[in-house]
Amino acid sequence: MFGAIVYIIGALTSAACAVLLMRGYVRGRKRLLFWSGLCFTILSLSNMLIFVDLVLFPDIDLYRYRLGSASVAMLLLLYGLIWESE
Amino acid sequence: MVEGFLLGVIGTASLAAALFFLKFWKQTHDRLFLAFATFFAIEAINRVVLLRVEHSNEGSPWIYLFRLLGLLVLLAAILEKNYKRSA
Amino acid sequence: MTDPAAVENAVYNFVLDQIETVPHLEALLLLWNSRPQPWTVENLAKRLYVSTNIVNSLLEDLKRRGLIVYVPGSPDGFRYEPTSIGQDQLLSALDLTYRRETVRISTMIHSKPSSSVRDFARAFRFKKERE
Repeated sequence: MFGAIVYIIGALTSAACAVLLMRGYVRGRKRLLFWSGLCFTILSLSNMLIFVDLVLFPDIDLYRYRLGSASVAMLLLLYGLIWESE
Repeated sequence: MVEGFLLGVIGTASLAAALFFLKFWKQTHDRLFLAFATFFAIEAINRVVLLRVEHSNEGSPWIYLFRLLGLLVLLAAILEKNYKRSA
Repeated sequence: MTDPAAVENAVYNFVLDQIETVPHLEALLLLWNSRPQPWTVENLAKRLYVSTNIVNSLLEDLKRRGLIVYVPGSPDGFRYEPTSIGQDQLLSALDLTYRRETVRISTMIHSKPSSSVRDFARAFRFKKERE
């Protein structure tokens, strides 16, 4: 139960960061914001995937996909940080 | 096996991200970046700890608490940026 | 706004907030000094000794900040367009200050952390900034 709350807060926080960063990207066109916005979007989805895992597909274990999506998110962020932060 | 690998990827990438944000904090003195660095550092540590756990659905509540700490630090920094007198 | 210290502060704040690079500043001042005559991208590139790619990107940035406008024609160009009298005065003071303190202003611009990083931080402000 407590874990569920943490995942929800995680999903909401990531979503908020994603929205703010994407809004900032639209305004200033700085690609760093695009890649970090994309990272947080995927992280938010990754957080929500635990509920899909436990509720919608209780027989299948989506752990690997949760980890996979979080990995993709972090790699995108790294790409943005390395190439676009001048 | 694959899960261990992916945890390693996420952990290392999070650590690297934390270092970048630490650098940005040094450049700008903006505490928001320190918060991001803390958030990603905690994520990195969590992933390492999770390596010893069989499956992420289990694991001690301390892991969740630690993760929550990172999230709260980030949220607090965002709020501070917006509602403090002289950010 | 006649107090010289206040004017100086306003100029420095403008540079810190709105000016990303020295070519940005020089392009803006060129356009301001020849107002309302428009400049083409090519002529600006020649005058500033930078590539047309850079000129295009900095003109886009200045346009987005509401400092200049696009003038369609053959060829197309850009010209300075003030949004207020205050801005005219600010640009005038900026022009003078830059001529007097070129090194200082350039150093100020160069020691700013990258604009991507600043934009990242700025993105987390909820309220609309004065830009």
